[in-house]
Amino acid sequence: MAKNVIVAKDLYLEYKKNTPIIKDSTFSIKSGSFVFITGPSGSGKSTLLKSFYGELKPQQGVLQIGGVSLNDIKPSKLAFLRKYLGIIFQDYKLIKEWTVKKNVMLPLLIAGYSKNVCETQTARLLKHVRLSGKENYYPMELSGGEQQRVAMARALAHNPVIILADEPTGNLDEYSSRVIWGLLEGANEQLGTTVVVVTHSIPSNLKVPYKHFYIEDGKVYEIS
Amino acid sequence: MRSLKNHVSLIIPLFAILFAVEFYFVINAIIKDYESRLNRDYSIVVVANKELTLQEIKVHEPDIAQLQELNSTLVIERLKKNGIKVDFNELKNFLPKFYKVYLSSFPSSQKLASLRNKLVEIEGVKRVEAFTKVHEKIYRFLLFLKNISKLFLAIIFITSVMLVFKQIEIWNLEHSERMYIMALFGAPLWMRNAILIKLSVIDTIVSTLLVYLLYSYVVGSGYLTKLLGVESIGFTSSDLFKDALWLFALGLIISVFNVIIVSMRQPKVA
Repeated sequence: MAKNVIVAKDLYLEYKKNTPIIKDSTFSIKSGSFVFITGPSGSGKSTLLKSFYGELKPQQGVLQIGGVSLNDIKPSKLAFLRKYLGIIFQDYKLIKEWTVKKNVMLPLLIAGYSKNVCETQTARLLKHVRLSGKENYYPMELSGGEQQRVAMARALAHNPVIILADEPTGNLDEYSSRVIWGLLEGANEQLGTTVVVVTHSIPSNLKVPYKHFYIEDGKVYEIS
Repeated sequence: MRSLKNHVSLIIPLFAILFAVEFYFVINAIIKDYESRLNRDYSIVVVANKELTLQEIKVHEPDIAQLQELNSTLVIERLKKNGIKVDFNELKNFLPKFYKVYLSSFPSSQKLASLRNKLVEIEGVKRVEAFTKVHEKIYRFLLFLKNISKLFLAIIFITSVMLVFKQIEIWNLEHSERMYIMALFGAPLWMRNAILIKLSVIDTIVSTLLVYLLYSYVVGSGYLTKLLGVESIGFTSSDLFKDALWLFALGLIISVFNVIIVSMRQPKVA
C-alpha cells in the first residue's frame, strides 16, 4: 500500500491575520498518485500549493511533506526538502539571464551532479520536450509554450519525488499543452512520481487515474 | 551600459578605501625610511670606567638597540699622532671605556636630553656626549601626515563601506528573482549569492589594479618625493606589489562581508 507523501491535518493558511485562505482542511495525498486541485478563482488553490513547497507556512494545523513537518521547518532543511520537488509555474519562472540549457541544469547543479551528468541529462530532457537545438537560446527568445516546456524539463531534471504544478498549461497553445500533459503523465506512470496539479479545468483526455480535490470557502474536499 | 554603471558604483568606493589604505602604507614606509636615515645623523658616546653591557643599560632605557665598544687603540693612535710623549702601554690600562649607543628609533631633542640624564646616572658612567643634526621640522611634518592619513582613512573607510553595502543591496534587488527561483529548487545560500560574490570579486580586482597602477605611476615618476619634500621614499615596486595583494584581500573581505550581511537581511522565503 502506498504511503502518504502529503498530509494535512486541520490546515489553516493565511496571508493577513484573521483572514484565512485555507481553514480546517484535512486530507492526504498518496505516493505515486496524480492529483488535481480545482476551485473557483481566488479560492486558495495556488496558496495551498505554495504551502506544499514551503513558501507559506501553516499558521495552524499540521502539514507534512514526505514525513517532514513544514510548520517550523528551518531554511536549511527546507532547501534540502526542495531538492526532492519539481515545481512548475504558470509564469514559468525561468532565469532570464541564463540559457535554456543552464535553466534546465539548475536542479542538477544544486544536487551537485558532475558537469558530464548535467550535460547528458539536459540534452536528453530537451529532446524529450522537443527543444533540441534551442539549448543556447535565452528564455525571452522562446514562445510561451516553449518556455513552459523548458520549465517542465527543469522540473523533471533531478527525478523529483513530487511534481507541483500551478496552472501549467494556463497560457499555452494546444500543442504545448499536449506535450506538458504527456510529460506529467509519463513521469507519474513510468517513474512513479507524485504529481499535484492546480488547475481550472481537468483535461478530458488524461490516460492516468487521478484524484480530485476541490476548494470551496477555504475548505479542501476530496471529490474522487 | 547599466551593468557598467553598476560596476562603477562599487569600484569607486572600493577604490577610495584601497587608495586611502595604500596612502597610509606609503606614508608609513616613508617615515620608516626617513627614521632609518636620521638614525645615521646622531651619535651618542658614553664614557665609563667599567665595562657596560647592553642588558644593563637597557634597564634604564629600553629604546637602546645596540651598544658598540669603541676601540681604545684609536684614541692612543690619535695621541701618538699629536706627538704627546707618554707610556702608551701604561696609558692603555688607565683609559676609560668608550661606547657608542644606537637607538631603535630616531630621538627627538627632548628624548636625547632625557636619555643623556638617564645614562649619566648609571653606575660607572663618567660622561655622555650626544650630537644630533636638526631634522625636527620635516620629521614632525611626516608624523602629522601619518596622523592625518589615519583620520582620512577612517572617514573614507566608513563612508565607502556604507556605499559598498548600498551597491550590494542594489545588486541583491536586481538579482532577487534569480535567487528566489534558485531557492525554490533548494539552492543553498552560497549558491544563491554566487552572482553577488562573483561581481564583488571582479570589482575588487579592478579596484586593486587601479590603485596599483596609480601608485606605481606616482611613486615611479618621483611626484610623491617632490610633493612631500623628501629625498627618497624607500618604497619599491615590489613593496607596491606586496601591498596590492593585501589590498586585494582587504577589498575582498569588505565586499564579501557585505554580501553576507545583505543576504542575511533577505526575507526568509526560502
